[in-house]
Amino acid sequence: MDPSEVEFLAEKELVKIIPNFNLDKLYLIGGDLGPFNPGLPLYVPVWLALNLKQRQKCRVVPPDWMDVEKLEEMRELERNAATFTPAPCPYYMELTKLLLNHASDNIPKADEIRTLVKDIWDTRIAKLRLSADSFITQQEAHAKLDNLTLMEINTIRGFLLESLNCMYKLRSNLQPGSSKGPLADY
Amino acid sequence: MSNPLSDNDPNQEECQEDDMTPADLIAKLEEAWLNEKFSPELLANQAEVVECVMEQLTHMEANLQRVKKGDPKASIHRMEIDRIRFVLCSYLRSRLQKIEKFYPHVLEKEKSRSKGEPALLSPEEFAFAKEYAANTESHLKSVALSHMPPILQTLDMLKAVPAPCLDSFVFLRVKESQENILVEPETDDQREYVVDLEEGSQHLMRYRTIAPLISSGAAQLI
Repeated sequence: MDPSEVEFLAEKELVKIIPNFNLDKLYLIGGDLGPFNPGLPLYVPVWLALNLKQRQKCRVVPPDWMDVEKLEEMRELERNAATFTPAPCPYYMELTKLLLNHASDNIPKADEIRTLVKDIWDTRIAKLRLSADSFITQQEAHAKLDNLTLMEINTIRGFLLESLNCMYKLRSNLQPGSSKGPLADY
Repeated sequence: MSNPLSDNDPNQEECQEDDMTPADLIAKLEEAWLNEKFSPELLANQAEVVECVMEQLTHMEANLQRVKKGDPKASIHRMEIDRIRFVLCSYLRSRLQKIEKFYPHVLEKEKSRSKGEPALLSPEEFAFAKEYAANTESHLKSVALSHMPPILQTLDMLKAVPAPCLDSFVFLRVKESQENILVEPETDDQREYVVDLEEGSQHLMRYRTIAPLISSGAAQLI
């Protein structure tokens, strides 16, 4: 899956905005939105929030977890835990990138948040690499991946699945009499 | 009907047999999209979902035709339409890619399907698969096979084209708890064991083990 497609899915998340215009209720296929009144906060999908923001029609309110103190706490937790701690939000990396790139003027301490999220991401990816390594060396057949976000799975997907398939192919050729007909090519 | 954008009350739509709101419908389409993207084999086609989404899109576009130029609502509706259309196209495209890759197996499966079982392919996809198969075979014949000794001129496409590898690993999220899923061992000196899949948990395992959960909707590939 392309990272931009993961980002596409992240854009469905709701974010709070404060519009500066008047608009009646919208009847979108995916559900109703609005009405929009100047100064009255409401939740809209990120794709709409960013569009309005780019046209300077709203202010974006950062999500609760996008806060220096909370993220610092999570970073410590993530560093000290052996397993994955629950991510701040299922799309934390994508939303940080989207909101900070397009609405950084509405987010206090944007640079600090960027660094903190990057730290959390790096710690988690390091853990992910380690567990992928032990998954392969121990030749496991099942792994539980709770608390991993889609973007994290996606960064390792291509490489991990491909190597597992290769190893499977090599192994099934080693065991005599276990040929299962032609396998997918790669 | 002063404003064409306010009269598309979702409950007035036609495709409402199972009390599905358009929002549920879009969620269904996205689920089908991700499942199709990540499953090694071609899944059963979601004709009803595709049809209903198309209907929603046409309906909305017809409404947009009647809107005055420069209406701020119209641009938002257009953006939503574009997003839905992207998912729809990507879904259909990934199906076509799989049909091209595995066409002899897909056609074989469709032929051996007993009556009453849901169709694997939509009529359009079936026509595409048949045509693709005929074209590939006649191309192979005219380019290579006809120049070979007669004894080598037969070609069994089912053997020549690799079948989808159902033993591939996939990532999945569980939507309805499952108990006692058998995990086959990777090597001879390991023993098979069972796992329980809790609702909301995520797993990495072989597609073959959980394929029934995907088609029943109890799990979702991610």
